[in-house]
Amino acid sequence: METMQPSDSALISLYIAGKEEAFELLLERHKSRVFTTIMLIVRDEAVAEDLLQDTFIKAIHTMKGGRYNEEGKFSSWICRIAHNLAIDFFRREKRNPLLNLDTTSHAFNSLSLAEEGAEATITREETHARLRELIQDLPAAQKEVLIMRHYGEMSFQEIADATGVSINTALGRMRYALINLRKKMAAQPIFYDQNVYPRETDPVPIQRIAG
Amino acid sequence: MIKTFTHEKLIRYLYNELPAEEQQEIEQSLLHDPKLASHCADLLLAQRCLNDLRTAPSKEVTDSILQYSRNFLRP
Repeated sequence: METMQPSDSALISLYIAGKEEAFELLLERHKSRVFTTIMLIVRDEAVAEDLLQDTFIKAIHTMKGGRYNEEGKFSSWICRIAHNLAIDFFRREKRNPLLNLDTTSHAFNSLSLAEEGAEATITREETHARLRELIQDLPAAQKEVLIMRHYGEMSFQEIADATGVSINTALGRMRYALINLRKKMAAQPIFYDQNVYPRETDPVPIQRIAG
Repeated sequence: MIKTFTHEKLIRYLYNELPAEEQQEIEQSLLHDPKLASHCADLLLAQRCLNDLRTAPSKEVTDSILQYSRNFLRP
């Protein structure tokens, strides 16, 4: 039986009331998706970690300063802060964030050889690198929605509001992003293998039947 | 594919954004419409691959955020 986890809203109330442990749980719950969202935009581990800190520092100021708005979801709110900071970073750097996804970034390839076999690790890293290339190849608008929805966990309505388009446009962009990715993945054996075998299963070489 | 569902609705289904009633309608259709089910499966596979890209920041960074929070003086 699963243990009931406190909601984000409950954790925020506890944190505002002075319980630091509540913030620790919030950070643990959201750090990966916020970090991944930033990484996919800035593609530099050190910068992404700086921006992650800035994101949560803003959140700390807002919550402890009594300015947190309970209306929206915490997950969407924190992701919007992270996304805006990442985009601002690139504007300052005068670069186009959505056209530059690094395919060899260390942070994305951080599984140690001890955790799984060396060969499996290499295969997984290659797959991830290739997937990042495929994401990079998506049209900017599709990529933006994909990052915000899939990694930032913003709702489609929130994405529509944040990007100034209708919800149907946001949904359509997501749909084409997934279709485009799937088509490209289907054409590459490295992804086909991943889909045939569950992630937990050790990779097993097989002879495919042509046609 | 059954035309009663828009593609947009299917995407909302994949991301758990549909009301329970509409979700059940889609699930019923998936049982009876192989083309819709196949399309849905393709999208789900793409979703699953994307999940694998999630990564985490270093412990030093999260410790530093927690330290900042502990030392933050309320205005």
